[in-house]
Amino acid sequence: MTETTTPSDAELVERLSHLPVERDTAEHYRGYLRRELVMSRCADCGRWHHPMRPMCPACWSWNVAPTAVSGRGTVHLFIVLYQGPPAEGVDYAKAPHPVVTVQLAEQEGLRFTGTMVDCALDEIRIGMPVQLTWIERHGSPYPAFRPAATPGAA
Amino acid sequence: MVRNPVKDQVAIVGIGSTGFTRTNERSALALGLAAATQAIGDAGLRAADIDGVVAVAEPGAPTPQMFASSLGLDTVTHWTRPSPVVMFAIVDAVNAIHSGCADTVLIVSSMLRLPWASRSAASDPFRRRSGSAVPRVPEDIGLAPAYAAWASRYLHEFGVTREAWGRIAVNGRSNALRNPLAAIRTPITLHDYEAARMVREPLCMLDMDLPVDGADAFVLTAAARAKTMPHSPVLVHAIATGMVGENTEDQLGGLARHGQHVVVEQLKAKSDFWIDDVDVYYPYDGFTIITAAWIENTGWCGIGQAGRFLRDHWVDAEARVLIGGRVPINSHGGSLSEGATRGTGHVREAVVQLRGEAGERQVEGARTALVTPGGFFLNAQGALLRRA
Repeated sequence: MTETTTPSDAELVERLSHLPVERDTAEHYRGYLRRELVMSRCADCGRWHHPMRPMCPACWSWNVAPTAVSGRGTVHLFIVLYQGPPAEGVDYAKAPHPVVTVQLAEQEGLRFTGTMVDCALDEIRIGMPVQLTWIERHGSPYPAFRPAATPGAA
Repeated sequence: MVRNPVKDQVAIVGIGSTGFTRTNERSALALGLAAATQAIGDAGLRAADIDGVVAVAEPGAPTPQMFASSLGLDTVTHWTRPSPVVMFAIVDAVNAIHSGCADTVLIVSSMLRLPWASRSAASDPFRRRSGSAVPRVPEDIGLAPAYAAWASRYLHEFGVTREAWGRIAVNGRSNALRNPLAAIRTPITLHDYEAARMVREPLCMLDMDLPVDGADAFVLTAAARAKTMPHSPVLVHAIATGMVGENTEDQLGGLARHGQHVVVEQLKAKSDFWIDDVDVYYPYDGFTIITAAWIENTGWCGIGQAGRFLRDHWVDAEARVLIGGRVPINSHGGSLSEGATRGTGHVREAVVQLRGEAGERQVEGARTALVTPGGFFLNAQGALLRRA
């Protein structure tokens, strides 16, 4: 489900205890609850950063703001996990788990890593266009990618 | 401008190793002490001679103060707890000796398999409680999975097969057959590599180093003092560590520039000799992709050409690589087959070879070594060592 009210820091850490929520990355994870993929963006020079940075590494401005990305991009790195950390809905023995690092449309080198859904393992390719989608994990929205909708298709 | 005021000023004069195993009931402290006492004895020294302690901060490993008290040291003037991989410890010892913070430094690196890394380790009640409390998710490709991720990119960018990685795995195992300290000494073939179970595709079981228990220790002192010691001193000729700013695993700019490139630039600028004059070669092999990248980025061959290079220098009868028919790669078996020492095995074997004490593994007349531990992101490093 998608939140309408903003949880406190304490609620956020408790709610997402399965994720490494820290002070500098809290807004990224709070975004999950609204189904928004939030990264930090420098309000002075316009650079995006992920993971979120308290200060812009490019211009040293502290004027950075949590900002949602479009979630569109292309697969840059692609692995299939046959074993790995436990997670709800992941059963490595039954279904090897795909993980893709996506080069986001916003900026060269800005990437986000997630699993891939709605796509057979053998159809995932480096370079394929994808878009953000949301799955449920431990009762909260969790970001993932799926093949980009073909222009003109429903 | 690159400076190298420590060139040939500090020597490795003592080595000790427990050897490595996947069945062990000794503590990290006991293993570390076994290696440390052996290294101090190998240097012809006693506890009272050691005034520096560098204890590598492996998970669950003892602190320098624990080693100082457990070894009964007298007076300690320098002690630190650097991160793994090995060269951070060597850099620290070299700096301490050259600056006068200490005269004779003991380095200890003591490792126990983490409970999640091995079924047998998980059955040990004393280590079940260790390990990280930070939650990890399958979609976090930090640390180890990052190498599989960039391995996928390597295949994509260069249009090559996994051949190079297979040869690196087989080469390591063939070399381990001759190393009594190695954890695994059963031969494998390229066919075994092809058939091995995928773990993080495109990397399989045989692309990954081997979790082991064991410890290595080194004693370093000033080169001038080393002349009176029992073994031929091995001089630290040049040493470097390297990292780029954007080193977060999935945000790395690309395979064309990362920590390895920085290390190679530094070493070339600091050293009087380079790969044409290297007798033994130790590129890191925590994952086979790291070794392929070191070979290419060091300039033994072009980018994406490691597969062809290893095939060209492959000695079928020995199922291993001899560059130019002479220079072995990881003559001890490396992290893949001796065991995941995080580079201490690579340095120890380089010292053994430069002393001329490697027995059936000995490379005739070896006088110079290139050791390049670490990967792409946060621990690329290297050293050129030479016999005094």
